[in-house]
Amino acid sequence: MKNQPQRDLFPGALEMMILQTLKRQPLHGYALAQHIKTISDDLLQVEEGSLYPALQRMLKAGLVEANWGTSTTKRRVRIYKLTPDGAKHLKDEISSFERLLEGIRRVLSPARI
Amino acid sequence: MASIRSWFGRRRFESALAEEIRAHLEQKVDDLVESGFSRAEAEARARREFGNVTSTQERSREVWQWRPLEDLLQDGRHTLRLMRRNPGFTAVAVLTLSLGIGANTALFSLLDSLLLRNLAVSHPEQLVRVGAHVPDDSSAGLSLPMLQQIDASQRVFSAMFAWWGDAVLNVEANGALSRSDVWAVTGNYYSELGATPEIGRLIAPQDAPLDSAAPARIAVLGYAFWESHYGGARDVIGKIVRIEGVPFTIVGVARNGFTGITPDLAAEVTVPITAEPLLFGESDVQKHLRRPDSLWLEAAGRLKPGITLERARAQLESIWPPIRESLAPQGKTPLELHQFRSLQLEIESGKKGGTLLRSLFLKPLYVLLAIAGVVLLVACVNLASLMLARAASRSYEMGVRVALGASRARLTRQMLTESLTFSMAGALGGLAFASWGSRALSSFLIRELFIVPVKLNLSSDWRILAFTAGTAILTAILFGWAPSWRASPADANRAIEQNTRTVARKTPQLGTALIVAQIALSLILLVCGGLFLRTLEKLHAVNPGFHAHGLLLLSLSPKPGGYKNIAWISYYRELNERISNLPGVTSAALIHGGPGQPIEWTEKVRIRGTASDGMRVDLAMMMPGTLRTLGIRLVRGRDFTWHDDDHSPRVAIVSEDLAAQLFPKADAIGQRLDITTEPEWQDVRVAGIVSSASLYDIRKPKTPTIYLTATQYGHYMGDPFLLIKTSVSPAALAGPLRRTVESLGREYVDRIKTIEQAIDRTVLQERLSALLSAFFAGLALLLAAIGLYGLMAYSVTRRSREIGIRMALGARQSSVQWMVLRETLLLALLGLGIGLPCAIACAHLIASMLYGVSSNDPLTLLFVSLLLLGVSALAGFLPARRAMRLDPIAALHYE
Repeated sequence: MKNQPQRDLFPGALEMMILQTLKRQPLHGYALAQHIKTISDDLLQVEEGSLYPALQRMLKAGLVEANWGTSTTKRRVRIYKLTPDGAKHLKDEISSFERLLEGIRRVLSPARI
Repeated sequence: MASIRSWFGRRRFESALAEEIRAHLEQKVDDLVESGFSRAEAEARARREFGNVTSTQERSREVWQWRPLEDLLQDGRHTLRLMRRNPGFTAVAVLTLSLGIGANTALFSLLDSLLLRNLAVSHPEQLVRVGAHVPDDSSAGLSLPMLQQIDASQRVFSAMFAWWGDAVLNVEANGALSRSDVWAVTGNYYSELGATPEIGRLIAPQDAPLDSAAPARIAVLGYAFWESHYGGARDVIGKIVRIEGVPFTIVGVARNGFTGITPDLAAEVTVPITAEPLLFGESDVQKHLRRPDSLWLEAAGRLKPGITLERARAQLESIWPPIRESLAPQGKTPLELHQFRSLQLEIESGKKGGTLLRSLFLKPLYVLLAIAGVVLLVACVNLASLMLARAASRSYEMGVRVALGASRARLTRQMLTESLTFSMAGALGGLAFASWGSRALSSFLIRELFIVPVKLNLSSDWRILAFTAGTAILTAILFGWAPSWRASPADANRAIEQNTRTVARKTPQLGTALIVAQIALSLILLVCGGLFLRTLEKLHAVNPGFHAHGLLLLSLSPKPGGYKNIAWISYYRELNERISNLPGVTSAALIHGGPGQPIEWTEKVRIRGTASDGMRVDLAMMMPGTLRTLGIRLVRGRDFTWHDDDHSPRVAIVSEDLAAQLFPKADAIGQRLDITTEPEWQDVRVAGIVSSASLYDIRKPKTPTIYLTATQYGHYMGDPFLLIKTSVSPAALAGPLRRTVESLGREYVDRIKTIEQAIDRTVLQERLSALLSAFFAGLALLLAAIGLYGLMAYSVTRRSREIGIRMALGARQSSVQWMVLRETLLLALLGLGIGLPCAIACAHLIASMLYGVSSNDPLTLLFVSLLLLGVSALAGFLPARRAMRLDPIAALHYE
């Protein structure tokens, strides 16, 4: 009955994708969802709705900021923008993610056995 | 910070998020429509891919919230809404709880101030009382040499101080003479207790040098004394106050609320301890102070840091035997020396001080607190059943909420929040009620018991607040559990269906059980209250053997120097005659020990020449005319006359039962008696026999009593009481009586009371118990009646359809009424059946506090049972009448 938030590959991945997307340009929620969907080529099953709690978490942590603006379709929307803190956080996350990936790759690589 | 902002901006947050999500979905639908989907398909797909909107909103909100607090606030708002919607229910519930919690808190604050609270002095926990006493003799004291020697050898106290206290003496202040509480203290008394003066200064060490022959004649006034005698004038410093005629210079005033070493007695006038002998005209002060065997001082020490009471006790007990030996007095009889050598040190914590109230009222207060606890229990059960009825009527609401996804725990929490809100409101009301109640109670007790005004510290401290809060929470759990248990239906469908069921079940079982419990508990309280009332009634009906009605008792005190060169017999004879001749006075006499005295005077009497131990009897010391004034009948022989003086043979009058017990075969008249071992009380002849009376304690009827005449013992003559039989009101006589006494120039009237008041005072514990337990029993009965009424009214509402059907099928109105009434009475009878054995068991516990009734007094049990049945019938009557008047058509159309 209870709606479990759809978890992606690992905790924090959704946040990382959002931050990475916002690094290029500020976006509103729908555009953000579309962008992530397109980039990941629908490989990652993400419920669009789960963007919003994630965005609220990042707002609270000061990683992004939001301002009301108008979309291309003339709707009033909230546009999210990366903060300097968010950019730094993204860098840290990516480097630690790469270390993790490297570790996994080495363990899985047959040459190392 | 962010989360606090989000509460205030809560609505804005919700609407912003909603708008954002709506925009998201609209854009998606537009895009999908553009790529060829129909609008309906597009909308469905957009929603599917978005996921649960409500859940998204909730999780977004949660980011900013602290969940438990949010829930609590929500529950609180819900509860307040419910309370506003049912003002009648809310008022009854809060009032019930206020009374229940308030009664408990009031009694607890009294107990707290008597038993738990430390003295209001600096570091009371360091204080240790030290005194010497013959084991089994309760009063302990020290002589000044003992104090000095102990202080010199002890290693456990940073200081020792002593006082001589609580003596009521003649004090002339600001031109007015009064009886006041005078204390004499060592120079370090105030500084060791950490006291500071209101004005001027307090007694200091240099004021009371123990080795000086010329003590400082200075006095410190108590705050209340200063207010009442000098109107709080600041120029009082340097004025003279006379104590027993001896002038003392006022040097300062103690602070308001300073009660020194006792919790409830504030000294009115305090002088240096070295000045104490002056008050009794002893010329050689040093000789008086140096007596090693006169244990006139009370003493205490202040523990050094890190020293425990046990260590102090061990050290003091080790130094005591040599000190005692070195102080053994000279020129005493072997018996007296043996007594001195058997003196032991009594060492106990002094942090709470000593108080008369504590020793007198501890047991009644404990019993009353237990009773009040049961009242609170009744209140809880009452509320539980009321809430249960409400919960049942809300089962539809609850069912809907469960169906909408509320968890069982969430609903239980909601119900508990409700009961907690009620009990907190009750606790607030209870605190107000308790602060009034405990003050009223203590002032009642103190007014009756003390000569000087005394104030107990009843201000709320953390203990009282904790007690009240604890009681409230416990109460909430007690009356909240039942409804919350009921209100959490496992199957939501059943709850919703149940509500639409046409014919309801009979009265709910849990509710019935609660009502029965309530009736049983009320019965216990009613039985206790009834027994205490019967005790009081029996005490009032006691015939003490003398005519108490219309008897006045005046205490006479000498003016300063009033007893100088007095011819006792002629003075009192004249006083007696003048008083007797006043209009309105039927008869007058002077007594020393006798009716109206708080302390029973008993001595051992034996037939002269026999070696027996003797028999313990009451003794009354009086002057001629007393027996007539008291209305004690002379059976044989003669009354005392003014000619019985210290030259004539000593005579006594005995009561009939004393005569019968000592001389079962012979005539008592003319027999010779020895009273104790006092030389002057040997060889006393029985001159008369009088009817039996209980002079001191009306609880003890027919006490063997011996009467002596003070005219034969000069030193018993002073400070007498004037006993007056009158047919007019005491108020009308007071003025003439005072003037007549003062006209002779030797004494003045200190206080006037009636003997009936004095007797009332001796049964103060019983009055307190009866008053409060009857009040509590009444409260419990009222609550039980409300509970029973509520249950039956609810049951009638639930069963209105059933009743309608019965009536439509031809049931008569009277039989419908009887059906409801019968159910009520059955519940009451069931409660009685369970309650009676419990009540008898409980009454057994208070048997020692009863007089003249046994704890299973059948009359009380019968009366109380009938009362309970009657009240139950009344409580059932209203719902029964409503059931009878139900319109069957309307009842069947309902819903």
